[in-house]
Amino acid sequence: MRILTIACSLAALMAASPLSAQTLNVATAGDQNMVDYVKDYLGPMFEKSHPGVKVVSVGTGAGDSGSQKIYEKLDAQKSSATTDFDVVVIHQKAAGTMVKEGLLAKYTDKVDTAKLVSSESAKNALGADVSGFVIPMFQSQTALAYNADLLKSPPNSFAELRDWAKKNPKQFGYNGIKGGMSGVAFVAGWVYAFGGDADRLIKGPYDPAVKASWDGALADLKEFNKSVVITPGNAGTLDMLNRGEIAIGPVWVDMFYSWQADGKLPPNMKLKLASPGMPGQPMYYAVPEKTANRKLAEEFIALATSPQVQADGIVKKFNWYPGIDAKNLEGKLDQAAWNKLFTDITPSDLAKNAKSFPIAPYFNDILEGYEKKVSN
Amino acid sequence: MLSQRQLALILVAPGLLLVAALFLYPLGFSLISAFTKPDGSLTLDWFAKAYELYSTDIVFTVVIVLASCGLTALAAIVIAGTLTLGENPWIVGTLKALYRWPLFIPFIVAAQCMRTFLAKNGLMNNTFVSLGLMEPLSAVSYLDWRGIIATFVWKQTPFVALLLAGALASIDRATLEAGRNLGASRVRVLVELALPQVMPTLLVALVLSFVTMLSVLSVPMMVAGSQPTMLTVDMAFRINSYGDYATANALGVITYLISAGAAILYLKRGLSKEAAP
Repeated sequence: MRILTIACSLAALMAASPLSAQTLNVATAGDQNMVDYVKDYLGPMFEKSHPGVKVVSVGTGAGDSGSQKIYEKLDAQKSSATTDFDVVVIHQKAAGTMVKEGLLAKYTDKVDTAKLVSSESAKNALGADVSGFVIPMFQSQTALAYNADLLKSPPNSFAELRDWAKKNPKQFGYNGIKGGMSGVAFVAGWVYAFGGDADRLIKGPYDPAVKASWDGALADLKEFNKSVVITPGNAGTLDMLNRGEIAIGPVWVDMFYSWQADGKLPPNMKLKLASPGMPGQPMYYAVPEKTANRKLAEEFIALATSPQVQADGIVKKFNWYPGIDAKNLEGKLDQAAWNKLFTDITPSDLAKNAKSFPIAPYFNDILEGYEKKVSN
Repeated sequence: MLSQRQLALILVAPGLLLVAALFLYPLGFSLISAFTKPDGSLTLDWFAKAYELYSTDIVFTVVIVLASCGLTALAAIVIAGTLTLGENPWIVGTLKALYRWPLFIPFIVAAQCMRTFLAKNGLMNNTFVSLGLMEPLSAVSYLDWRGIIATFVWKQTPFVALLLAGALASIDRATLEAGRNLGASRVRVLVELALPQVMPTLLVALVLSFVTMLSVLSVPMMVAGSQPTMLTVDMAFRINSYGDYATANALGVITYLISAGAAILYLKRGLSKEAAP
């Protein structure tokens, strides 16, 4: 009987909670660290300035698949009065789709910090116009991590890397395209380097005939794959670097620095952004069109994109590049924390070699071309 | 007043409904989506795409699962045979205490353990090196198809051995004793006298293992790189990266067909009286 009473009151509580309107549900695609960031850092800060509000952080998983889950949920709730999520943190590919299908609210004119954003990616997500719908949470970048003891002069370009890998079999490792985005970024970089017109892939317009011109590059990649190691995932690449099993491999810059700070990577590891460059991508804060707490959601994003939080949370805690223009962080951050981000990869490297992912249709063509011509 | 028959139907109904709602409905749904275009017309396009992109992986999956089944059978026979016919009480006792452990460890944990165990500079190679059995330079990583097979065999052997040991224990000892008395070695008694009597059980256990291994996602994902990989990983990738349920379902149908071969074996055995797993 008592169990029944408890069960009933629990059910009643659960049914009642959406009505209280004081719970802010934040759904983040991305690794566990993103969920923890909202739960342990942003949430408590927001709750302090908004008494009575509770921030709930939900994670939907790493990579584009995490964003895909958020998309599917919002899509499924299209016809209901409100959605479960109030703030979503999503990748570029999903952001474009969600804006196109009217699942997101145009909110940035109500948030002051939107004026501090200067990056192109706040307007353009893989070819889709998202201006007004998103504010970047951070910008992340892929690069080649290498063991400086084993590799005195790291390759400066993809062509050098290709030759080096041939001479040093099984010393380069990456995770293919099914094991995480750093592998996808490497493949995109490969197509930029050997497939011809990289600029067109990034800026569009889309022409389905272009993919035929990648045949040579993909055949080369198949050949290249014979002398490299396919690692299990982003973390798998770092694991193998750490154990000294490979000498070089593509990784996310933020993950690299976090592992190094935790002592999971030896200090002799360094980063290199080889030309013509590798892609990076931002993650976006967005508000679903049908949120019940629109005002709260906007205030939450305003806090999350404020210079102080960007400095302390994004740069210092996670080694991400800030989502708002970096010049707004001046004075908020000590020099050491700032310099750390730019030791191996200098601002000029970034300016020259930090690329975007290709626009969505080319992106899918590259992935499918890889599956068809390289891995099968 | 309800008849006996109606009462039985009512009792079975919840279970049937559950099977229908949670298994038959999704199964039907995925079958339909694998064979239709978005506009509803019939097509085999998704199968063509699955073949074009994943033919290597289809072969890889079948080879991995069959090889794992073969090795599992071998290991299980050795373990179950030792347990039944072993004469050294110390060895039999230790084996008895140890062999069931992997049964209680989930696939995902096993995969994570193997990741550190089988790596090039992992626990296994490091042990060999420190024992002086191997040069550090000759160490190789087993984190590829060999890693997947090792994990599967490690995880499924206790299950098969458990069923097999039970069956072996229940056969008539007199025939085995007779074989021993006439001078046959223990290996010969096991292979020629005991195993033929428990073959149905062994087959059923292997069929169940086959279907289990076919459906595991975590092991190929965590232990090996993605080229080539097993169909479960490809299905997850189709859905997660493209939201492409049609091709994923086509791959699902291909998996059904592979496991149907095993299921037919199972049903044949299950219907004949001698098999009682």
